[in-house]
Amino acid sequence: MSNVIEIEDYSWKYVNTRTPAIEGINLTVEEGSFVGIIGPNGAGKTTLAYSMDGLIPGQYNGIKKGTVEVFGTEVEDYAKGELQQLVGVVFSDPEAQFTAMTVEDELVFGMENIGLSVPEIRDRLEWVTELTELSHLLMKPPYEISGGQKQRVALAAVLAMRPKILILDEPTSMLDPVSRGRIFEVLAKLKAEENNTIIVIEHSLENLIPLADQMVLMADGSILLQDETQAFFQQSKLLLDKGLYPPGAMHFFHELKMKNYYQGKYPLTVTEGIDLLREIKGF
Amino acid sequence: MTEKAPYIQVIDLDFEYPDGTQALKDINLEIVKGEFIALIGQNGSGKTTLSKCLNGLYKPTAGDIIVDGLNTKKSSIVQMVKRVGYVFQNPDHQLFNSNCWDEIAYGPRNIQLSDEEVKERVEEAIQVVGLPKIYHSEHPFFLSKGLRQRVAIASILALRPHVIIVDEPTTGQDMKQSLEIMDFLQDLNDKHGHTIIIITHDMPIVGLYARRVIAMAQARIMADGPTREVFTQAEVLEKTFLAPPQITQLAQADPKLGFDPGTLTVDEMLAQFMKMN
Repeated sequence: MSNVIEIEDYSWKYVNTRTPAIEGINLTVEEGSFVGIIGPNGAGKTTLAYSMDGLIPGQYNGIKKGTVEVFGTEVEDYAKGELQQLVGVVFSDPEAQFTAMTVEDELVFGMENIGLSVPEIRDRLEWVTELTELSHLLMKPPYEISGGQKQRVALAAVLAMRPKILILDEPTSMLDPVSRGRIFEVLAKLKAEENNTIIVIEHSLENLIPLADQMVLMADGSILLQDETQAFFQQSKLLLDKGLYPPGAMHFFHELKMKNYYQGKYPLTVTEGIDLLREIKGF
Repeated sequence: MTEKAPYIQVIDLDFEYPDGTQALKDINLEIVKGEFIALIGQNGSGKTTLSKCLNGLYKPTAGDIIVDGLNTKKSSIVQMVKRVGYVFQNPDHQLFNSNCWDEIAYGPRNIQLSDEEVKERVEEAIQVVGLPKIYHSEHPFFLSKGLRQRVAIASILALRPHVIIVDEPTTGQDMKQSLEIMDFLQDLNDKHGHTIIIITHDMPIVGLYARRVIAMAQARIMADGPTREVFTQAEVLEKTFLAPPQITQLAQADPKLGFDPGTLTVDEMLAQFMKMN
């Protein structure tokens, strides 16, 4: 499979700060893969995300070193607006991206802006409102709906543009566990049916882990660990040292291992954890 | 032991927004001093509306809320803010002064305390939340979210309310920061005797800190009791579209494995495992 993103020796320093926000980043993302990026706040996760859709260096002043290539082209070499059709970013603060007076206008705005035909807009609107379960909110003003609903609108507005690469910055921070699960179901569907490349920055690992092919750990502006999900989480000690708590089942088996009660792999889900416990107990 | 009189009593509360949305229905609740409560439920289940009723910001459409002997319907905002403080989900929605000190002083000034008293209250609140001195004259927006949240809590503490309601204290925080904020709330509860109510979606946090859980769905209370008991009521939880923390799910999965279905934390699970082996 081909790489859709190739980042080499990349550093970015915002103009007003003394030290780079991110430094020495090397990262490749394969087409159709699902990548989870985790790390403490201030690790540089959002800066990295902005770098992949050209917001950095386009909208920010600073100093760039190294290369960030998307579909083989350096981000600055894209014509204005071109890269944003390939890469869609869902921000952690949904209000930051709202401009319209109704949810429907919000969803249509981007599509009109890139000159889609009315029938095409109608088709995509129908597809995206069904996928994100927003049909009943179309006529509401975006500022009148709940935080969780805002996050779904923000996701839908980006999906409507049908970007090949989707970057989500803490897309479920305001959601209850059920709505959170629903967003990840949408992402699973996009991965399976549309072959989108999906990059998710998340603190909540429970939903992320079963979907992610690759995981990246960032701290203090660098990538500390990057691996396939199963192998990645075998490094639980490093994660805990960085203040990142694995989900309960994994955390429990990590503690068992530390106390020499267990030697095997860590479970990624509750179901795997139950099976392992039964194995240990001999039934 | 003598029965403690409730500090807050909610009696047959209904609340309807002006557009006709029924946000709360048949709410009955008693809260005694010193509790640590988690209010959980899906988005839109009525958690935030209930909080805003408890601090008198919203008045009941039907029924009554009695706080410290005062009916919220007949009490002024000034009377209520001294008893129940509400910290917004997003600290940026409540911070508006150009430096932290003034932000915290705003409430005390607003209830017309003398300059001396205002100073005393602010210094006290700053000390409790542990806001380093270098930040006192800083603009709140230059602080990290964790520190902004502390300023937001300090501005509520300066009014010396007994009950402190914090709406989603851990949203957008990494685990380390979440534990710091929660440890701080636990201190307010243990050492300063405040009654704490958190509104949260974070079930592991509920398992670690809350002694009582009130679970809401569709404007009603579906379950109310000690955390351990509520998390073992699978059918009720299903109605609220919530699931207990992963570690509790693991403990409950198979009775033959012999774990207490009311297990709340990894440490509790581990202690049981070691006992068995």
